[in-house]
Amino acid sequence: MEQNTLQGLILNLLRFWGEQGCYLAPTYDLEVGAGTMTPDTFFRVLDKRPWRVAYVQPARRPTDGRFGENPHRVQKHHQFQVILKPSPEDIQQVYLRSLGALGIDLRDHDLRFDEDDWESPTIGAWGVGWQVMLDGLEISQFTYFQQAGGIDVFPIPAEITYGLERLEMFLENQDDIYGLRWSSDVSYRDLRFREEKEFSDYNFNAASIKSLLSIFGLYAKESQALIQKGLLLPAYDMCLKCSHAFNLLDARGAISVTERVKMIAQIRALVNQVARDYAAGTGAA
Amino acid sequence: MEFLLELMTEELPPSHVRSALEQVGQTLPGELVAVGLGRTDPSVSLKIFGTCRRLVVWAEVESGQQDREEQVVGPPKAVAFAADGSPTAAALGFARSRGIDPSRLEVIKNEKGEYVGFTKRAQGRAAAEILPEVVVRVLSGLVFPKMMRWGENPVRFSRPVKNILCLLDGRPLDFSFAGVRSGGVTYGHKLLDPRPLTPKSFAEYRGLLAGARVIIDPEERRSMILAQADVLLEPLKAQMLPDPDLLDRLTFDIEQPFVFLGGFPETYLALPLEVLSTAMREGQRLFSVIKGKKQQPLFLGVADALGDSKSLIRSGNERVLKARLEDARFFWSQDVKFGLKKRAAGLKRVVFQEKLGSYEDKSLRLKKLAGYLCDKLDAAEMKKDVLLAAELCKADLLTDMVGEFPSLQGKMGGLLASREKLGEIVSRAIYEHYQPAGLDDETPPSLGGAVLSMADRMDSLAGVMGLGISSSGSGDPFGLRRSAQGICRIILGRKLVFSLSRFVDKALDVYGERLDKNKAEFKSGCLDFFAGRLRSIFEKQGFRYDLINAAFGAGIDSVYHASLRVQALHGLRSSPEFEPFILMAKRVNNIIRDSAEFKVNPALLQEKEEKELHALFSLVKQNAGPMIVQGDFSQAQRMIFRLQPGLNLFFDKVLVMDKDLRLRRNRLGLLQAISKLLLQIADYSQVVVEGEKAAG
Repeated sequence: MEQNTLQGLILNLLRFWGEQGCYLAPTYDLEVGAGTMTPDTFFRVLDKRPWRVAYVQPARRPTDGRFGENPHRVQKHHQFQVILKPSPEDIQQVYLRSLGALGIDLRDHDLRFDEDDWESPTIGAWGVGWQVMLDGLEISQFTYFQQAGGIDVFPIPAEITYGLERLEMFLENQDDIYGLRWSSDVSYRDLRFREEKEFSDYNFNAASIKSLLSIFGLYAKESQALIQKGLLLPAYDMCLKCSHAFNLLDARGAISVTERVKMIAQIRALVNQVARDYAAGTGAA
Repeated sequence: MEFLLELMTEELPPSHVRSALEQVGQTLPGELVAVGLGRTDPSVSLKIFGTCRRLVVWAEVESGQQDREEQVVGPPKAVAFAADGSPTAAALGFARSRGIDPSRLEVIKNEKGEYVGFTKRAQGRAAAEILPEVVVRVLSGLVFPKMMRWGENPVRFSRPVKNILCLLDGRPLDFSFAGVRSGGVTYGHKLLDPRPLTPKSFAEYRGLLAGARVIIDPEERRSMILAQADVLLEPLKAQMLPDPDLLDRLTFDIEQPFVFLGGFPETYLALPLEVLSTAMREGQRLFSVIKGKKQQPLFLGVADALGDSKSLIRSGNERVLKARLEDARFFWSQDVKFGLKKRAAGLKRVVFQEKLGSYEDKSLRLKKLAGYLCDKLDAAEMKKDVLLAAELCKADLLTDMVGEFPSLQGKMGGLLASREKLGEIVSRAIYEHYQPAGLDDETPPSLGGAVLSMADRMDSLAGVMGLGISSSGSGDPFGLRRSAQGICRIILGRKLVFSLSRFVDKALDVYGERLDKNKAEFKSGCLDFFAGRLRSIFEKQGFRYDLINAAFGAGIDSVYHASLRVQALHGLRSSPEFEPFILMAKRVNNIIRDSAEFKVNPALLQEKEEKELHALFSLVKQNAGPMIVQGDFSQAQRMIFRLQPGLNLFFDKVLVMDKDLRLRRNRLGLLQAISKLLLQIADYSQVVVEGEKAAG
């Protein structure tokens, strides 16, 4: 095992959740703001079949870009996403054991489950749960899904999201994200610094507002057409593309408060339609 | 018998724990009494405790219900017995249908007449048999602001239910709630000592859990936090910055309190106290440490732990806090550099409400409204400053700091204004203009803050109501109730006298063309809304509803005078003159109720008693007038009481409804004039007096 690397952390988590019966999914190949948005979570929580999955997902949040100058904030970070449906009776214990598997002796720390109900208006989803705080640092988000795509989900999935960079910084007592190493001979700075710098510039300055607005419109239209044809997975992909275009426009400061509400509502309407059709097809709630 | 219930869950939000404990405290005693198991004094026989993971109830209950006798009524006696006294077919059929021997039939008399029937003896059920039903009913009745489901469980609760311990005199009771079967087992602290425990009594339960690192009593945890904080701060001669909400929250956030002292680099002390304490409180829930009023580079944290022998908890929190303070310092330096006036220029791009315009539009309206209030409150000397504050008060919405810590809105603007040396009045007005934030929050200490806060609230209220959006039911999405309540509390707190209805007019006028519907309609809507809020304030202060009605009958145009009116009524309600006078006032009102209005002509007064009443009235009116204007309603009311003997004699000796129409109208006119005077103090006909209640 590679000590003190993100890779080591990822391998630990994959092994742990693999042993819990999770399917270890490959990363999804579209830009998303959170691991929740990929089809391995979004579609799989809509039906009644049991489902266990774990995967690493890069999460893009253009407004969090800091040109590589902030030791904590980046416009792309990595999440380790776990879904267990139905939520097992002992899920909290299992989660605590996963921290133990990372070498954290919880009796030496202050671990708190701090009320934090999660919601994503763009994909019509919300859940009830906590941010898990370890000595004052948020290391995970723990959520019982209640709705996705505007539909009440049942059975209820438990979602656990670990913020990988943050967790690794905690494990190493590291104060600077760029001081991390991905593997024993590849540093985080080497991998990501230039990317953060260039993408921050792109997100805040270079991205063409005109193009983004037109892209948003095109993908929304495409999604609608695909829904008509019953091609729900591609239609959902188009929604993700809309969502990313929207996030970039937001970072460019190109969206007024009212437009913001309208655009989110437009994506949500498409996502909700996808979810309804999907659930109807699979006989879900 | 001793009853003990413990419901264990995954971590409940602190507000949910408090609410659940309150709900159980309210419903359980009644339920126990209803099933015949309750003791008479619930304060001795019921105790409630809780942590973020458990709700605990201890109660003394009866061991079982009393046996009961119940009469079962059958057919009327007349058809139940034949002439010879033997039971008829009707009586026999009744006995058969109830499965009893006809010999048990007896005659039962009730208010309807005589019937046959029999007495049934119902044996009381044992507590062990009834309690499970009661517990499930009480638990199922708990409601939370947001409820959830988990697993494949159809039940909704605040968070997943994990375990139920339920003992009656040490013996487990067996039932199911939320998919969990009750029993005699509980568990200790989640991390420190998660062993199963099997207590046999409440005392043992409490002791075992304390041993397993769980303090079930919130008060005990609170004292532990304060005591440990004292031990840490005493040698430093420093204090915790008081924060009751945070303390309350932390008390319910943990099972085993451990207080630790941490620090941060002194360079961050350059940040304002408000910024430091907010950065500490929000996110990490740390207390600021002060000496006198001076912030120290220290904080107090409360962990759910036994100790911190490796200093991991302290150093972890220090690291997170340092990162947050570094962010805050960056925001502060950016915001200071940018300046408040330059920020204000950006307000035109920020929407306040789609139809009501931008925050720049709002600032312009606030200048007009705040200026209006300065004129009405004879505060010309500060008008210029208040107008500047109105112009700048929303600018901090665009600062990076408020973007990161929204709760600093207003305060941040005030701090920047003070740094930019815009003057004490300006910076305080901006700083305070969101106060009072909550229903029990402090109102703005400065007059400028009070004026700006009222202007801001009235602008939002008039605008939102003017769009036809009203606040109904339990929700208050636009904060309208808080706005109206805030304005009332500021007026009452500062004893301000001005016309509410003209203030509403002004607010609606200032919107100009933006509000397109009927102004009169919004206005009455706004005023009704204020009346509702003011009523709730007075009710909370403990005034009788009918006295509030009577005071409101004289109008709430001056909110402060409305409060003086209700206080005057309250103060005099038990004086010997009060009740007879109320009855007299009602009598006056009844006589003039459907009459057209007349003017009294002294030349037409004939009888001695009506002449005397008129003279008395003139005198009383002359004296009471200035008292009313000054708001001295107690004195005015005492003065009015003097009409009583004159009115008594008048009603005894003078016939109001005289055949001579001129005399009749003149007498009605006199009573109308009196009634009008009374109405300047209160609508006495709204007061409910003892005699009426009995009759009603």
